[in-house]
Amino acid sequence: MKITRRDFAMAGAALAALGTLAGSAAAAGIQELKIGVVGVLSGPAAQWGLALKGAVEFVAAEANRDGLIKIDGAPCQVSVVAIDSKYTAEGGAAAANALAGQGVKFIIGAIGSPELTGVKPIAKRNSMLVLASSYAKDAIGPQWPLVFHVGPGPSGWADPIIKIAKQKFGMKSVVLVAPNDQGGTDIVPVEAEAYKKNGIAATEEYYQRGTTNFAPLVTRIMNEKPEAVDLASSPTGDAGILVKQLRQAGFEGPIGRLGGPGYSEISRVAGGDSVLKNFYWYEPIVVDEKAQMIADDYKKMMGADRPENNLFFQWAAGVRMVLKAIAKAGTITDTAKVAEALRSLPVTDPNIGTGHWIGQEFFGVNQELSFPFGVGLITDGQLQPITRVEAATGK
Amino acid sequence: MEGIVATILIGVSLGAQYALLALGFTLIFGILGVVNFAHGGFYVLGGYLAYASMAFLGTPYLIAVILAALGTAALGYLFERFLLDRLVDDHLSTLMLTLGLYLMMSSSLLAVFGPQSPAFTFPLTGVLRWHGFFIPIENLVVLVVCLVGISSVYALIYRSDFGRALRALADDRAVATAQGLRPKLLFPAAFALATGLAGLTGALVTPILSLAPHVGDPVLATSFLIVILGGLGSIGGATAAAFIVGMVEAFSAVYLGGSKGALVLFVLVLLMLVVKPSGLFGQRVRGA
Repeated sequence: MKITRRDFAMAGAALAALGTLAGSAAAAGIQELKIGVVGVLSGPAAQWGLALKGAVEFVAAEANRDGLIKIDGAPCQVSVVAIDSKYTAEGGAAAANALAGQGVKFIIGAIGSPELTGVKPIAKRNSMLVLASSYAKDAIGPQWPLVFHVGPGPSGWADPIIKIAKQKFGMKSVVLVAPNDQGGTDIVPVEAEAYKKNGIAATEEYYQRGTTNFAPLVTRIMNEKPEAVDLASSPTGDAGILVKQLRQAGFEGPIGRLGGPGYSEISRVAGGDSVLKNFYWYEPIVVDEKAQMIADDYKKMMGADRPENNLFFQWAAGVRMVLKAIAKAGTITDTAKVAEALRSLPVTDPNIGTGHWIGQEFFGVNQELSFPFGVGLITDGQLQPITRVEAATGK
Repeated sequence: MEGIVATILIGVSLGAQYALLALGFTLIFGILGVVNFAHGGFYVLGGYLAYASMAFLGTPYLIAVILAALGTAALGYLFERFLLDRLVDDHLSTLMLTLGLYLMMSSSLLAVFGPQSPAFTFPLTGVLRWHGFFIPIENLVVLVVCLVGISSVYALIYRSDFGRALRALADDRAVATAQGLRPKLLFPAAFALATGLAGLTGALVTPILSLAPHVGDPVLATSFLIVILGGLGSIGGATAAAFIVGMVEAFSAVYLGGSKGALVLFVLVLLMLVVKPSGLFGQRVRGA
């Protein structure tokens, strides 16, 4: 096809029109706040990442609907860029680098300790504010002033859960099982300490991440004759297989999973609540009527059911806090100013309740959000209502 | 004593599953000279085909397993016939093609079924217990089917004209072709046999473990490890190595723990590569 002068003129006119439109949008003062999401979106822990991504997209839509973010009086559109970090340090680092390349200054995630280890140096170098999960011993700290924790690690909630489980099941010994990377080795010793403080003898067992058949490990656990087994931070898919194989091996005692929610998938993989039999776990949020309103709003605004994992609610409350801080600071580029605003905000959410900033004792910095949380229980194969526990304080 | 017998039972059970998987992997390498990076993908696809047949078509599990094996075999046949066959002698291209196919398969399964494990359980439950030993009925059934599958593959390869033809092609393609054997007909059939075995294993094993789009990754790694240990392309080597790996995995995990157990396996393969690089039953490094 021959390109004529007329074609050139037409193309030039079209480009000029586009430029004018873009210029008028800028003139109208519409700015864009890009929120980066770094989370595991594939693999056995994908349920956690989908909850994170869903929460950030929902809160961004909520902020756009309400016109929450205004910079110098001009509206600011919130958009979300999500990258799969594959639960690895290199995945987390690659995701943070990609976001930095796009000019993103705020990262929500990562979830797992390996990912966060990869994210933090990149975020520090690029002055990015991070709201992460991760139960690593150094997830947050004075050396990372722009890194905040969306909720307490086991140091915050292990003790009350163990007390409830002990009262219910009366166990005197427990074996804790988790992957042998930072996602497991940073959590299990903290939980083991909490068990010991409650008079329960605790031993630790680790497995290679990627293990699909746990029959040999289950035999080893059975040889130790524990009264309870805690699956700690094992991904939900792994936890489901472990529960199933433990029960097949004849283990009758209670099984816990203090590393996070995911009961539905564990039950599905294991073969139902009757296989779980006696089971206790950490729920980051009690989904009562008020919390359920978030799920209802999600369905209205996003046109689909909220992500299955209850971490969704915890992330939603955390992201709301970050956006409130951005609105208060009045900047989408100065992350130090936003961090300062975030530290000064009271920990409260209209749907989740009121909490505290904690973390000074364990991490050396008070940058950990602590909302009321829940303890899930299944007794004799029957799902019990979630027990509400007030927000952890002082740690 | 009870502990040792229980561990042997686990080792045999693991070994049988690994053998069925590794046979397909080593068949493709032995006959076509192709390292099939999509092998784990066919395993997962087999699981999802069986799950979808039961969940959406309401077929009984037995039919679902047969459909899964046939479905993965058909896909393998088409892939070899229309894509791989054109580049079968170019190792880099076949490597990229099979790796690309694996990524497409796992991404498609992720898009269609989502990342979470569906409710896909074995139809038979219960555990046989005897004097402190136990074996879940589902594991026993899978073990029997795997042993029958392995025997059938041996019969097919060593006792049928089809098998003789495949072995002739693996031995010397030029001479076999000159004798009238047709690689264009036999290669896709061999590929289909291998992928059908992977699909069969997936349909059998995923309901007793878990089904998710990513579960093919460790399968590929294990298959690779087994065929390297047994000798690339050696059917007998792959079978022996599968049971060795199953036993080592079981004993090391039970007596040393999950982390050290994995280490023992890799040290074993490392030593094998140093002492006998061609593997337990490997004859020679295959030429181009």
